[in-house]
Amino acid sequence: MTELLTPKSLISKIALCLAVLVVVMFVCSLVGTQKISLSAVFAGPGDTPGQNTDYDIFVRVRIPRIILAALVGAALAASGVVLQAILRNPLAEPYILGISSGAALGVMTAAIAGISWSFVGGSPMAAMAFLFAIGTVWLVWFTGHLAGGSTVTSLLLAGVVINAFFSAVIMLMTSLIDSEQLRSTIMWLMGSIGEKDFSTLLASAIFIIAGIAVLFTISQKLNVLAFGAGEARSLGVNPRKITLVAFALASFITAVAVGLSGLVGFVGLVVPHSVRLVFGPDHRQLLPTSALLGAAFVVICDTIARTIIAPAQLPVGVITAIIGGPVFLILLSRYSKKVGNLR
Amino acid sequence: MNHRLHRVLVIVFTIALVLLAIEYAFASEIQRIVSLSPNLTEIVFALGLGDRVVGVSNNCDWPVEAKQKPKMGTFWQPNTEAIIAAKPDLVVCESFLQHKEVAETLKRVGLPVVSLHAESIEELYNAITQIGSAAGCSDKAEPLAAKIKSELNQIRIKASSAKKVKVLWVMETEKLRVAGIKTFINEIIELAGGQNVIAPTGDQYPSVGTETILTSGAEVIIQSAMGTEDITKQQEAADKFWNRFANLPAVKDKKVYVIEADTVLRLGPRLPDGAMAVAKLLHPELFSQPKDQNQGDQTHK
Repeated sequence: MTELLTPKSLISKIALCLAVLVVVMFVCSLVGTQKISLSAVFAGPGDTPGQNTDYDIFVRVRIPRIILAALVGAALAASGVVLQAILRNPLAEPYILGISSGAALGVMTAAIAGISWSFVGGSPMAAMAFLFAIGTVWLVWFTGHLAGGSTVTSLLLAGVVINAFFSAVIMLMTSLIDSEQLRSTIMWLMGSIGEKDFSTLLASAIFIIAGIAVLFTISQKLNVLAFGAGEARSLGVNPRKITLVAFALASFITAVAVGLSGLVGFVGLVVPHSVRLVFGPDHRQLLPTSALLGAAFVVICDTIARTIIAPAQLPVGVITAIIGGPVFLILLSRYSKKVGNLR
Repeated sequence: MNHRLHRVLVIVFTIALVLLAIEYAFASEIQRIVSLSPNLTEIVFALGLGDRVVGVSNNCDWPVEAKQKPKMGTFWQPNTEAIIAAKPDLVVCESFLQHKEVAETLKRVGLPVVSLHAESIEELYNAITQIGSAAGCSDKAEPLAAKIKSELNQIRIKASSAKKVKVLWVMETEKLRVAGIKTFINEIIELAGGQNVIAPTGDQYPSVGTETILTSGAEVIIQSAMGTEDITKQQEAADKFWNRFANLPAVKDKKVYVIEADTVLRLGPRLPDGAMAVAKLLHPELFSQPKDQNQGDQTHK
């Protein structure tokens, strides 16, 4: 399979996906509750605040929101690709190893303790979500290895158990303490893409893009890992080391995404599988194309979420599931014969 | 007239005129107000600023004119785009997470935002004062706050002579949830001459078990109506539900009442109405006028 991928076809596929993303981002920036004209946007902000509403809406609301959606989508899709590879499990998704419940516990703690400091420009919610997600992932990795045995199974098992345990702790917290603040926290956690300031977006973009870039450099080794640990070792790849690196990076970019927008479901599962069905399973192309198309997917879903019941909005997770599910099923029925099987 | 006194008078007069002009300038400045929360909308309208409101949340339904105003998304998820497009020169909102995010974006655009936290009666006065000063009508805000304060005080004074009635305040019955001590509902209960039967809880609106209810000794049960369903139907459902606690004094004496939620669950200018309605339920002998108020259960005693 791998010899079919020439540098030329890889570059052309990445370029195609990049073009799709750029077009999607451009079109979606023109869609919204309010009609705005591009010429008004280019006229600049005006002398007094609030004078040129078209400019304000475009620059302060739509652009940040679309960039945020793209970053979240890229991170989740890339993380899904990597976790499916290292866990050798098609059901793996970015939240499977306790990241979701860890992040949830983090924002709950922030809400209850009334923490007000911030971290790389993020809100206390975002910072706590990030830190707890990373902490939980480390805990999963640590206990998974204490358990020994096959790396993959014990990791999965540790992830599932820690997820369940943290969910119980969260339930305990919500039944002991309830307030408007806590309820708004739970709502935020269900996936909320909003407007961030540019410094937050820039910092997150650097982290996520760098993470995906490093993952890309080890994508050939992920291919080898797919044959199993024994095969990988005989091909000169240290499975434990590569799993650790891939796992840490995937968790890191997922934690950044969770800190930005709560838990946006379905992206990490549906996008990698769809891309794999269409383009094939080679991780060198699967990773970058999934990241780009995942970004485009979340941008589209968020645009629908913010316009379909305007002026009200839907949680973006609802749209990712409602669109992602059927699209994935169609691809599955059309392409699975061609590819043979999922992997 | 003394020449010096004359000069002083002129100076004082000039200063007063300048102050008036400044006040007028500020008052006329705020022309387009957006409110993102039902109780804040009620305050804005009560300050006489209703015709300057250019946007409210989907949940703002009082006064009736508020319903006609352009909608800026839901209370839980306001639509930033719509707010900016409404070109407000004042946005009033609450301070919880979702409103804070919107407020931050609006501030980056350069729009003036007043974020308020109102979860107690004292904070309600504070919110009225802050909206008043932000909208340049402190002259109306102070009397409004004072009026609410004095109306509530009158109820408090009148009720203080009576024996405290044990009250259970029910938020919902499917998964029984009640109002705890750390709520403004508790403040209303107390000033209306009642005493919350729920012991201090960590949760503002704790869910409680059957045992707690049975041993609470509640003499009056007040249930705030849910949704838009007809209140007499909700009363019937409540009577049916509470019949299972036949030994509870409130149920025995048929003192289970469903009341309109908006005046009692919304920290706004209608709070004295809500407090009065509660007081009438707790101490009908003190508060009920000769003309019969059709509040809740209509049992003859």
